[in-house]
Formats: sequence, structure tokens, C-alpha cells
Amino acid sequence: MVKATLAGLLAHRLRLLLTSLAIALGVGFIAGTFVLTDTIDAGFSRRFAAAADKVDVAVLPAPGTDRQVPPHIPAAALEKVRAARGVADAQGLVRGTSALIGKDGKAAGDYPTSGLSVVEGPLNRTEITSGAAPKTDAQAVLDENTAKTRGFKVGDRITVLDSREARHEFTLVGLFDVGLDQELGYTGAVGYTTAMAQRMTGQRVFTEIDVVAAEGVSQEQARTAVAAALGPGYQVVTGEKFADDLAKRNGADTGILKTGLLLFGLVAMFVAALVIYNTFTILVAQRTREMALLRCIGATRGQVFGSVLLESTVVGLLSSALGLLLGYGLSLGALTALTSLGAPLPTGVAPTLTPRTIGLAVALGVIVTVGAALLPARTATRVAPIAALRSQIEERTFRTGVVRMVLAALFLLAGAGVTAAGVAMDPGETALFVVMAGGTVFFLGVLVFGPVLVRPLGALVGWLPAKLAGVPGRLAMDNSGRNPRRSATTTVALTVGVTLMTLIAVITGTVRTTFTERLDEQFPVDYLIQPQDRDATLPRALGQGLRNSPELASVVAFREKITKVGDRGAEFRVGTFTPAPGFRPELDKGSIALLTPGTAVIGRHVATDLGLKVGDRITVRTARAGTVNLRVAATFNPESGVLPPVTVPEGDFDRYFGAVGDSRMMINARDGVGADVGRRIVEAAAQPYPTAKVASAAEVRGQFEESLDMMVMIITGLLGLAVLISLLGIANTLSLSVHERTRESALLRALGLTRPQLRRMLSVEALILGLIGALVGVALGVGFGWAATRTMVDDVAFQVPVTQILAFVALSGLAGIVAAVLPARRAARASIVGSLATG
Amino acid sequence: MTLTGGEVGARGAREKAAPAVVAKGLTKSYGRGDTTVHALRGVDVSFATGAFTAIMGPSGSGKSTLMHCLAGLDTVSGGQVHIGDVELTGLGDKRLTLLRRERIGFIFQAFNLLPTLTAEQNIRLPLDIAGRQADQDLFDRVVETVGLRDRLGHRPTELSGGQQQRVAVARALISKPQVIFADEPTGNLDSRSGAEVLSFLRTSVRELGQTIVMVTHDPVAASYADRVVFLRDGLLVSEIHRPTPQSVLDTLMKLEA
Repeated sequence: MVKATLAGLLAHRLRLLLTSLAIALGVGFIAGTFVLTDTIDAGFSRRFAAAADKVDVAVLPAPGTDRQVPPHIPAAALEKVRAARGVADAQGLVRGTSALIGKDGKAAGDYPTSGLSVVEGPLNRTEITSGAAPKTDAQAVLDENTAKTRGFKVGDRITVLDSREARHEFTLVGLFDVGLDQELGYTGAVGYTTAMAQRMTGQRVFTEIDVVAAEGVSQEQARTAVAAALGPGYQVVTGEKFADDLAKRNGADTGILKTGLLLFGLVAMFVAALVIYNTFTILVAQRTREMALLRCIGATRGQVFGSVLLESTVVGLLSSALGLLLGYGLSLGALTALTSLGAPLPTGVAPTLTPRTIGLAVALGVIVTVGAALLPARTATRVAPIAALRSQIEERTFRTGVVRMVLAALFLLAGAGVTAAGVAMDPGETALFVVMAGGTVFFLGVLVFGPVLVRPLGALVGWLPAKLAGVPGRLAMDNSGRNPRRSATTTVALTVGVTLMTLIAVITGTVRTTFTERLDEQFPVDYLIQPQDRDATLPRALGQGLRNSPELASVVAFREKITKVGDRGAEFRVGTFTPAPGFRPELDKGSIALLTPGTAVIGRHVATDLGLKVGDRITVRTARAGTVNLRVAATFNPESGVLPPVTVPEGDFDRYFGAVGDSRMMINARDGVGADVGRRIVEAAAQPYPTAKVASAAEVRGQFEESLDMMVMIITGLLGLAVLISLLGIANTLSLSVHERTRESALLRALGLTRPQLRRMLSVEALILGLIGALVGVALGVGFGWAATRTMVDDVAFQVPVTQILAFVALSGLAGIVAAVLPARRAARASIVGSLATG
Repeated sequence: MTLTGGEVGARGAREKAAPAVVAKGLTKSYGRGDTTVHALRGVDVSFATGAFTAIMGPSGSGKSTLMHCLAGLDTVSGGQVHIGDVELTGLGDKRLTLLRRERIGFIFQAFNLLPTLTAEQNIRLPLDIAGRQADQDLFDRVVETVGLRDRLGHRPTELSGGQQQRVAVARALISKPQVIFADEPTGNLDSRSGAEVLSFLRTSVRELGQTIVMVTHDPVAASYADRVVFLRDGLLVSEIHRPTPQSVLDTLMKLEA
């Protein structure tokens, strides 16, 4: 029996390969995810270990309790550590911000560059890649990436702003690699001597103290001594533990990446399982006679069952092996791509293939394959021995059973009900999860109901192709609906991918429209000026200068302070704006004219948090006027994002907090002033203030859309895998059908169907299958996309990205045709005489 | 041993026209070297227009191969085949397909019909493929002849074996082909259904002037033909006119001996 099975497998190597490929892709993706994240983890660990080799004991601040002040170590602690027994050397690390001025005279980048200390001696962990470390206060080093993008090289003079925005010049003596520090990688960094770093960043405190133990003192001994010297309030860890902790923290980051990728991997595996299930079902149907013959010569039902399972096991093993190879290659490619995109990843690490990955991949491949083959295997046991004697395999007729209808109705209704409940809920994560659950149940209903849908849908989407392609088209339409169960499973595999793609397209489309509508509605500005450091302010003189220019219609400046509001000690941003013609922020009721001295308008979330309503009194602790008691004049929707949460009149604000600088400015050009003219004026005015960053509304929108597009591209790309697998499914089903219909094709050829016509017939069949899958997917995706966006925020501007969805449908159809190429070629090549003789 | 169309044509007024199918020096071999099988070793034969000819021979005599080569379903190794005024040998697949579509009808032993199409759609299939309109009179006449009027909307699975073969006969007739090739058309039928189908074939020759070439191993089936040619080991060895089951059987016995 085993021999017979294996001989059969060997005889159909191509089919075996095609079938394996579906599972292999899924396994490959999952294995690749593990290889990738393991490799990144291993790289991180190695780098951290290398860094920690230099450090025997690390002193870190205890986790802070005050949100306003980041955790830090007071300067005095360093002396205590140095004085501790067994300490050879100790260095405090300084980190803060110090904005590098670019060659255009403006602060470089969207965020101020970090400023940090480069320590001397054995504790130096900064990796200088060219030049040298700063020796004097007039020298500085710059991270490689910033140097490259801003066009600085060793020997240049650089200008950096200190924490008070005073300019300092340095000689650039070297470049360094930020290594794995995500924050530094993002902001860029300037390194100074420790003393200079303290001056530039304004930080007199340390973020970390590194210790080298004296000769013969163990890490643990040194740690105990340092901890004793410092007393409570610090985290004192050995270098080893320090490295472990760093690696773990990064592991958590790769964990998110892993989970995200695995999610897509699971979708791919689900689709692969559908493909395998279908393939085995068809194989069993086609081999009815072979199985019956085996039964005739004495094989038991169990042996027949076993033979199908054995076949699936071999397929599973083969797929897993193939998948592992694929995954290894995929992760290699991903690493290269990520590194070339500038992701801060450890380089020069060989991909890590752990036994866990191998075990998991093999187990997954085999379990999914064998699991998907269970039902077909059971069908195989039902073949009666007498079937061997029947001359022709009967076409399986499909009748819509009562059980199927009831089951489908149950799933569909339950799914729709749960979804409706989710939509009716208040927007939020819970509602989204409810909708997702509803969607899953509904999809199961579609899975059960599929075979009933295939014929009408086939007639619908096949109408035009059948018209255009003549007889081949008509025959193709008939063929597509001929075995509804098979067609349904084939197309559902494609539906999974298309549904998810459409869903993402609808959600992002809706978010995009909602965002831009809001932007236009509540943020109708041409330019926005913000300090590079969001917590800093800009001198009021800038705004005054802008107000004087005749080309600008309105300049609204916002000023804010964080302070205690209400009786419960909660802190909010309290702020004001400078009135300007045309600036009328929207309130829940009434107009901004309600904001009179002694009153405040507050965001709804503030009202909810403090239990206030319009007319109530609100207390605000101020810097200059003590605690003031204000009347709530109105509330507003905080999502408009314009007004500070607690907004008071301009005059009152100055009285409460003094002459605070502007934290942002919204500027509108006069009608008829060209965009470039307006921009030039605003930029010229901002030029003397290096940290004043000018952005136009179009840029803000562009940045948002860019990141949204990027997200859509990545997700669509990842879902593309599921679609690819489902296409393998179509190709597989089609080639098996072609095999089944060998004589039919020969007959058609004898009757005068040309080879191109025969090929066209199969292409149209695949096209119809692809379109059915896409159509159902689009319907589901749009429906549930609508439901999902309902759960996100109030009053969304629902948007169906029609072109994008049409592209999905067209691509699905096209992909179907591509999937048909090989089977169609095989069918057209077959000799008529040989084919007529088979069976 | 050459049997020319002239000899046959001399026999009756109906057979004056040029032969429908002519083969000259037809050879067909499979494989290479030591394993070469010579299925046809040089067959010269012609089939008169408007005649019903049967090809007989023991298993492995090459009768099916001969039919496949005559019908343009298979390529020949040597010699020539003419259907009417067109030489088949040397035609590409496309031209051959169009030729089959325009000039040849087929009836196979089994699996004659597409399971997805109704009887009527199956009958019209060759015309549909060719993009031609059916002559409604002819359609009605053919359907009447084979007695399928009330079965036109049924699919093959709902028809008996005999009915299926009658649909196949009707399909072969509908496009008025220059010649119909029938490969064991009654091989799968009981004797009564078989007799019915054979009568239709003979009627179509007598009344519609159809040319039919039929491969069979059944002497009774062969006796419905006007003429029977016998093949052995890839060579044409004998022929009889106006056969009876007995005369066919006798000839076969002689060949087997």
C-alpha cells in the first residue's frame, strides 16, 4: 500500500510540486518571519554584549514618578560612585537636545538633533567611524547619517544651538555610528566632551553612569559596593544584566514585528489550506477507479484512508522543506532591503536558523496539509469496489442541501447581527473587535454558501466574456459552474486576499478623506510655523513681523502652558490664541465671541474628565495670578485639533502666565497671492529664527498621505502572498480539471475547435473564477470596511476608493488568466488521438 | 491490390462523382529503431462520395490509425491523403482544424457529447464553433430522422446510450460535411440501439447523399455499408461490395487464418 502511494506520487511530480508550492509559500513566510526576527535579536544581543563588555556596573535612574521630569541621576551621584570601593573609573552620560543648524541656516531635521557626551577612556562606547573623539570643548562629532544628509564632513565648522537657543561653533573632528539606538537614529546626534554636552543640552544631570571595576573586583562585588555608596533611588546593575535588559527591550520591539508578520503568515496558511483541501478533493474524485481497484484487490477502508493521508504527509514534508529554504531566502532579502532603507539594524550577522524555526515550520506544514486532506481522505474511503468496473466516472451533481442552506443562513445572520451590534456601539477598540468577529463569522457563512453562489455569479461575470469569446466563452461559463463546490473553494481562496485588500483600501481611503476634510474644514491655513522642538516656543516678534506683511491675510498665534486645572490635580494645556480676521474655531454651541474675560472654552474631554458643563466654574492654577476661577463659556470637539484644551482670552493669558512665546502659528495668505510668493515671505520672516519650521498645509497633507500610502503598500504587498497562493490554487484546480476533461477537449478539437480557441476557453474559465472571487471579496471588503470605519471615529466621511478596487478586480481577473496559461498550453498540446483513447 | 475509385464508380449512377476521400501510399509508424511499430505500411484507398464504407480488420490491423490519418486527427509518416480537392498531408494544425470543422463529421464510440450542453446545443456545436448558422430545415429533418424531437432540452446524463449516439449522429449530419468518420459507433450499444443508429447512418447516405466511413469490428454493423474494406498488418488486403454479415464473417475468417 505504501509502495503504491509513493509510486503514484512519483508519477505525478509536477502536480506534487504545484501542490507543495502553495503550502511552501505559507510556511516560507512564517519561517522567514522567525529567521528574520531571530537574526535581528541575535544581532542586537551581540552588539549589546559587546558594548556591555566595557561596562562592569551601570547605574540607571529609578523609574520616575513625575511625568514632567524624565528620570535622571543627579551630578553628585557620580562622585559617590567614583569613591566607592573597587571602582576604577566611572563616567556619567549626558543626553539632551542640541539643535544642529543646517547649511541653509535653519535647524536641521523635523526634530532637534540629540546632544550627548562622548566619554574618554575605556568606558567610551561611542563608535567613532572616522576622525577622532572630541578632546576639547571646541570640538564635536556628528553621527554619520546626519553628516551625509546635511553635507558635513570632518574638518568642517558646525553651528549648534544650546538649550537656550544660543549659537555655538565647533570643529567637526569625527563621525560616529549611532549603532542600535532608535532615538538617535531618528533625530541624529552631536557628541561633545562631557562638560560641553552638559552646557549644550542644559542637562546638569546624567542619564546613566558607567563603571569599570578595579583589577580583581568582580562585577557583582562592584555592583554591591556602588549600590551601597549610592543608597536607594537608583537601579544598579552588573554589565551583564545591563546587556540582557537592553536586548530584552529590543526583543519586545521585534516581538511586535513578529506578531504583525505572523498574522499575515496565518492568512496565507489559511488560503494554502483551502488550496490543499481542494486539490486532494479533486484528486480523490479523479482516482475513484484507482481506489476502487485497490478495494477490489483487498485494501481495507483504513488502508485507502491511510494512503491519502500518507500522500498528504509527503506533500506536507516536502512543502515544509521547500518553505524553510524559501523562508531563509525571504528573510535574507528582507534584511538586505531593510538595511538599505536605513533601518537601524545590526549588520553582518548571518541569518539564524534555529531548531525551533525548523521544528515549527515542519510541524506547521505537515499539520496544515494533513489536516486539509482529512475530509477528502474520508471521502476516499467511501468509494465502493464496484466503481472500478464502471466505464465512466460520473459527474458529481451538486444539489443545494437543506443542511447547507440552514448552516449558511445561520452563519450569515449571526455574522451580520454581530457586525450590526459592533457598528451600533460607541466607536472604539471594542466595537472594532466586535465588527471583526462578525466579519469572520459572516465569512464562514460565505464559505458554506459559496457553491450556491457560484453559478449565478458565474453567469453574471461571465456574460461579457462569453459574448466576446464566442463558443469558447460559452463553454467556459458552463465549465466554471459545472462543479460548484470545487469552483467555490477555488475562488474563496482568492476571496480571502481580495477581501482583506479591499478592506484596507476602504479603511485607508476613508481615513484619508476624513482627515483631509477635517483639515480643510477646521485647519484652513496655508502655512504653519512651529518650533522644531514641540515643547519650545518662538519669540512673539516673529508673529508681529508676519502680521505687518501686506500679503498675509491672517496670522493666528497660539500660546500654551501646562498647569493644574480643576480640583483634582489634573494637568492640561491652558492656552490662548491671537484673534485674526477669518479665524472662527468651531464650538459645540455658539461662536468664539462667547470667550470673554474671566471665561474659558474647554474641550469635551476636559469637561468629561472634570465633570463640568457649560456655565460651571473651573479653577486654573496660574503662574502670576494665583489660582483663578473661570466660567466655562462653551465646549468644543477636541478632534478639531486647533484650540488648546482649556482656552482663555489673550489678555487673560498674559495676565495669568506672563509673556509666553508662541507655540505655533497658523498663517493665511491673502487671496491672489501665489503659493510660492506667500511661502517666500513666510520663510524670509522665519529665517532669523533657526528653530522656526515652516510647513504648508499641502506638505502636512502630503506627509500624512505619504505615510498612509506607505502603509497601504506594505499591507497590500503582504496580502499579495495570500493572493499568490490562491492563484496557485486556480492553476492547480484548472490543470486537474483539464486532466479530467482530456477527452472532452479532444472531442472539441476533433469537431474543429482550434488550439487558440481551446486555450481561450480555459483562460475565460479562469477569468470567470478570478472575477467571482474578486467580486465576492470586494463586496465583503467594502461592507466590512464600512462597518470598521464606523467603529473608528464619529462622523467619518466614508469613501470607497473605486479605482483601487477596480484595479483589484482587474488584477484578479488577469491573474486568473495568467494562472490558466500552463494548464491551457498542456491541454492545447495534447494529441487528439491519444486523448480520445484515454479512460 | 490497388483499389481505385474508378472501379467503384463504375458500379452505380450515384457514385459517378469524384471520390470524397483518397489515400495514396499511406504509411504510419511509431517509435524509433528496434522498437518501431509500423501501423500502416502503404495503404492506397479511396472512398466514393455518397457511399457508406466500412473498414474492418482484426485488432492491431491499423484500422483506427487509418481512420485517424484520413480524418486529419493524426499525422502521417508518408503518403498523401486528399479530402475532396484538399491535400491533408503537410497542413498545419490550424488549417487541419479548420478543415475538420468545415468538411468532416465525427461519431466516436463513446464520449461523443459535452456533458455541460443540452442535446440541441451538442447538435449545433460544430456550427457554433465554425460560427455558422444552422439550416433550420436541415436541423428539423435531421432531428426528425433520429427521433430526438422531445429530447432536445436534455443533457447527456439524462439520455440513454442509444439516444446519446443518435445525438452524435445528428451532430455529424448537421454541418453537411464532405465525409463523416464513425469510429465503432455502436461499440457501446445493445443490439437494438445499435441497429437503430446504423439505420440512421444508412438512411442519411441514401436520402441525404452523405458520405460515411465507419471503422468497426462487428460484421453485422459492417453489413449496413455499401462496401467493406479489410485491413491486416497495416495493409489493405481485401474488399467486398454489398456485404452481408455472413460474407463479412467469411472474409474475416479467411484473413485470420
